[in-house]
Amino acid sequence: MEQRLANTWRMPLNDKKFIETALLSDLRLDGRRPSDYRKLTVKLAKQDGSAEVHLGQTHVMTFVTAQLVRPYRDRPNEGSLSIFTEFSPMADPSFDPGRPSDAAVELGRVVDRGLRESRAIDTESLCVLSGKLVWAIRVDIHILDNAGNLVDAANIAALASLLTFRRPECSLAGEDGQDVVVHPPEERDPIPLIIHHLPIAVTFGFFSNENLLVIDPTHHEECVMTGRMTATLNSNGDVCAIQKPGGESVSHSVIMHCLKLAHVKATDITTKIRDAVEIHNNERALRKIKRHSSSVAVDVCGEKQNQLDASHLDKLKLEEEEESPMECEASPSGQEQSKDGVSKNFTGGPSSWDPYSECVNSDLLKASLASRGPSVPSKQKDSRRETKPKEPPLEIKTDSTPINKALTAGQNNKGKTLKDAVKPKHKKKKIVSSNNEN
Amino acid sequence: METKSSSSSTNLVDQSVCPGDVILDLSNMTNQTIKLGGGLRQDCDAISVMKAGRLRFSKPNKYWVENSQKRYVPHAEDSVLGIVVDSRSDNFLVDIKGPALAFLPVLAFEGGTRRNIPRFEIGTLIYARVVKANPGMNPELACTDASGKAAEFGALKDGYMFECTTGLSRMLLSSPTCPVLDALGKKLSFEIAVGLNGRVWVSAASPQTTIVVANAIMNSETLSGAQQRIMVEKLLERIH
Repeated sequence: MEQRLANTWRMPLNDKKFIETALLSDLRLDGRRPSDYRKLTVKLAKQDGSAEVHLGQTHVMTFVTAQLVRPYRDRPNEGSLSIFTEFSPMADPSFDPGRPSDAAVELGRVVDRGLRESRAIDTESLCVLSGKLVWAIRVDIHILDNAGNLVDAANIAALASLLTFRRPECSLAGEDGQDVVVHPPEERDPIPLIIHHLPIAVTFGFFSNENLLVIDPTHHEECVMTGRMTATLNSNGDVCAIQKPGGESVSHSVIMHCLKLAHVKATDITTKIRDAVEIHNNERALRKIKRHSSSVAVDVCGEKQNQLDASHLDKLKLEEEEESPMECEASPSGQEQSKDGVSKNFTGGPSSWDPYSECVNSDLLKASLASRGPSVPSKQKDSRRETKPKEPPLEIKTDSTPINKALTAGQNNKGKTLKDAVKPKHKKKKIVSSNNEN
Repeated sequence: METKSSSSSTNLVDQSVCPGDVILDLSNMTNQTIKLGGGLRQDCDAISVMKAGRLRFSKPNKYWVENSQKRYVPHAEDSVLGIVVDSRSDNFLVDIKGPALAFLPVLAFEGGTRRNIPRFEIGTLIYARVVKANPGMNPELACTDASGKAAEFGALKDGYMFECTTGLSRMLLSSPTCPVLDALGKKLSFEIAVGLNGRVWVSAASPQTTIVVANAIMNSETLSGAQQRIMVEKLLERIH
């Protein structure tokens, strides 16, 4: 208790008073005007589907991963999107490890709602085999440093990583055209998600004095302000969602004013994200080009031999570099493994509210862990088709239907060991049931 | 013999040292007294370093290690800025960014008696002096100087407090006056209180001045003297 008291961050009364008095003369602590956004930088990693966003001192990182799962029964043709948040105590001493705080849940919900309700991501294109296999997209949001306005930063990071994410291509094979083949990226280029528009969240802070309004509040301002509102808009000015969690009441005209401001900011931010993604895509395309260095073409005399060797080596290196990130993105199972390391510590449940999870058979949920396996690009299959001949380079998994881990975490939050214990018994059951069907 | 040992120690003074470095060998300086400050410890005859930083020496015989960190380790006779967290019947609990909350006895004010106990709201900013800082105990503060006078200590009204590293607050307190404060002071008038625990309080007539001063100080941490002056000039140009 003592220790906790000593470690929490505090704000003196002087600062609270000062922030309000400075705002009366349109001044903010970091030299911005009330309607200015902080400096935004979007960094995209070489690996697809991961982004880092700096908003002033706020630092957020996101990863996108995909998994083949069985769809919800009432939406057999739609893939799913789920958002997970992780508030590390390193980012802010007030974040507790363990259960997700209200702020963490709200953050995930706001980002999720902006993307889902506006149908920004085409979920139907994620369907592989109607009623049997669809892609489940999972977005992990990690807060690395909290200096205020986490919602906007997390939303931007999620969008940027979704824009760069590519899923492996699938095709149908087999005599009845019901077998799904997942092509590794070396074979066929992975395909990006279809994103119709970018819903950008812009947060406003309100103070006890009704005339005061700030955009993109910092950590200090968040301590002082009495109300907040997050408006999610796209660059066309369509309002996708508004979140106003309690606090000071705000008049109609103020909200309209906020939406106008938010539209301007959303346009700016959209261009920033698009620019960053374009640079990323260009680099990606460049990496793909196999370069034949000029020295190969030149007639090789004795001295140039060394050069050639060197350039050849370079080329080899280049190829290596090229392959390694792809391998990661190629195999959902490979990524899964690295994610597992994180998810051991990750005890937060899904922040996304999932209306359809009830429809999923709990037997299938338990089986989901069985699907996480080797890092070799694996061919994933429906559980009922067991009689496929094995192709040597590809490992065929016959044991179970992979199910969105998101769902597992949502319904059964007990940790991995328990589920592992269930698995072998369940496998037997599966076989029996499939035999019965046959 | 003596001269040799002192020369071997002086070549580390003002240099960066790491934990484990041996800075002095006492076996060949038997009839000397030395005083050790923070970050140093004695292992039999060797004086070794306990934290990374710069080794400082002050004549005639004081050695200590200086570094810059976000967390403050309380030392007696430091002046610090604290925030009142709680008030008990005989103590105020004050947050001084240290590993434990500090106690400020209600009588540790000029002319403090049971009759006139000051009232501090939770969140009040206080400029105080560390009286005791023993390991394993909460540090103790006082709002008087050693002779019992108030001497500028006490609650700070209005203004703006920001946090920085301990290195920056030491730089601001150094003499001759730190270039950034010197340059700012020539053009603007403001009040400042620097706590060695990495907290700085600035107060000026207009909020604009306060914000300019605070940002100039925060930016100056990694700049050299000349750069600080240039930065302040540019900042002042922009606001006038």
